[in-house]
Amino acid sequence: MVALRKFVEVGFLLLLVLLPLGSAHLFSDFYIVLFLRIFIFGILMLGFDLLAGYCGLTSFGHAMFFGTGAYVAAITWKYLNNSVWLGILLGLGLNTIAGYILALLCVRTRTIYFVFLTLAFSQFFYVAADSWRLIGGTDGITGIPSPTLIPGISLGHRTGLYYFSLAFLVVAYWIARRIVNSHFGRVLKGIHENEERIKFLGYNASLIIRRVFLISGLFGSVAGTLMVCFQPFVPPTYYHVSLSGSFVIMALLGGMGTLVGPLLGTAIIIFMDDLLSTWFKESWMLCLGGIYILCVLYSPEGVTGIAKHISVTGVLTKLSNGLTKGLNLTKN
Amino acid sequence: MTFSTVMVNLLYGITIGSAYTLIAFGFTIIFGVMGVLNFAHGGFVMLGAYVGFTIIKLTKNFWISLFLAPLGIALLGGIVEKFLVSRFYGKDIHFTLFLTFGLSMVFSNAVLLIWGGVPQSIQLPYYFKGFINLFGIYYPKFRLFVLVFCCLLVSSLWIFLTRSRWGSVIRAGLFDIETVEAFGIDIYRVFSFLFIFCSGMAAVAGVIIGAMRSINPVMDLDFILVALSVVVIGGLGSFKGALIGSLILGLAEAFGAQAIPGFAKFTTWAIMVAVILLRPKGLFSER
Repeated sequence: MVALRKFVEVGFLLLLVLLPLGSAHLFSDFYIVLFLRIFIFGILMLGFDLLAGYCGLTSFGHAMFFGTGAYVAAITWKYLNNSVWLGILLGLGLNTIAGYILALLCVRTRTIYFVFLTLAFSQFFYVAADSWRLIGGTDGITGIPSPTLIPGISLGHRTGLYYFSLAFLVVAYWIARRIVNSHFGRVLKGIHENEERIKFLGYNASLIIRRVFLISGLFGSVAGTLMVCFQPFVPPTYYHVSLSGSFVIMALLGGMGTLVGPLLGTAIIIFMDDLLSTWFKESWMLCLGGIYILCVLYSPEGVTGIAKHISVTGVLTKLSNGLTKGLNLTKN
Repeated sequence: MTFSTVMVNLLYGITIGSAYTLIAFGFTIIFGVMGVLNFAHGGFVMLGAYVGFTIIKLTKNFWISLFLAPLGIALLGGIVEKFLVSRFYGKDIHFTLFLTFGLSMVFSNAVLLIWGGVPQSIQLPYYFKGFINLFGIYYPKFRLFVLVFCCLLVSSLWIFLTRSRWGSVIRAGLFDIETVEAFGIDIYRVFSFLFIFCSGMAAVAGVIIGAMRSINPVMDLDFILVALSVVVIGGLGSFKGALIGSLILGLAEAFGAQAIPGFAKFTTWAIMVAVILLRPKGLFSER
């Protein structure tokens, strides 16, 4: 199974690496932009899945890390120095401080209270960004210069940014995979299954939740910074609850707790977002809301959940079960 | 701050708080009894305000609108409960959250399509315009009406919940719905009734708050946040918590707007953080 997954992963990576080469001849630049957005939100979703899928704590305010990453990067590049690394580092730094404090508060609650609290805090950030004139208020930050990879090489070009984001996505996926397979990752799953038992085994569950909250936030921070590379404009809606909500739906659609699922969900939602907004113009939010509802009604386990039901091993076990049953019947 | 500004803020805080109670009661009942996290509750408030706005425009009568708009929204609530929410009873609570989140998006966009994005204001009858002299302080007439109306509504609701047979069923449902079912009560009918009733109540709040402020297609979010903060402050599934939480929120908003204009919401968050630190499950949590 692991070998098969590695094979699929490498295959996908190759496909994505080769994609921009064909863009000039086979299809328009549009797909590069679309995939760029999928990569950026994919990084965030990997972090989100660590918290929501593996640890079982659904954050309804993950946009706060995304927004902070974006705002810090925008301010850094506009007023300080337009090195992309400086933006990422400062974003991570501020998000570490903010995430540490928020984790201390949020860890006191579980299940639905956790949802409330994260939602309320992200809305706190939204109101702050929306009313603070110094960082642009409702208009947000505009006129951000495109960042440089190293002095002299700009990241303004779409294809360059495509590979840059892809590299980050691969690293993020690798880190997330390492976390999930590690001892820490198993304890996370344990907290999801039965927190009392994990505590009984001598683990400090609260500390572990705080750590995964912070880690998952840092993924979001990087995604926010990359978003500013892509769109040199930061509106306060980067903190908005509708963004946080769409993260939850992305994870749900793809299937939580699988890492690959949320990536798939991100791709589906972003693709649909684009399609619906061109087809339905003003009423696309209505259609997207309708799709969310259908998604919850008919596939609460997500796309990967459906895939699990029709997987090869599943079919084989069903077949063998049927066979043994048939043999037993003939014996009697 | 002089004495009269303190009094005006106090009155305004209680007025807003009592209107919030109508929203928070419905939200906490739907969550506590039915186990449904209704993110679309703010959407019902907003739809109530917009339907009320249209009815006033057509009939020129505030009272007809205050009666008909909640009725219409209650009907919509019944449809939503029957076809969507009822499928998720007894399942993971997160699913209802995701479902109603999608629903609130649909509501918000529908309002934008039907009524447009420009903020509107609900026309008040002439006798509600202007100010009234209350022991030396001038207070808008309509706000005074809202205060009296909401207090009457909340107290009759309180009596219904604490004194009547169905009220005791609801309160028992907050603790243990299975035991209620074991007593031979058809809980699914209770659920339908509650959802319809709470949607209607949200619409009442929508009409009167909409008439006090202005109405816009993103106001649903404000109200869902009000409901959530009240629940965090007061404790989930507690009527006393919903009442006190709403009043705290209303007062915090009124005085916060006075103290730091533009940052009124921060006082709310500060109170919320304090409550979480001291009592993670809210001030009056019964579970």
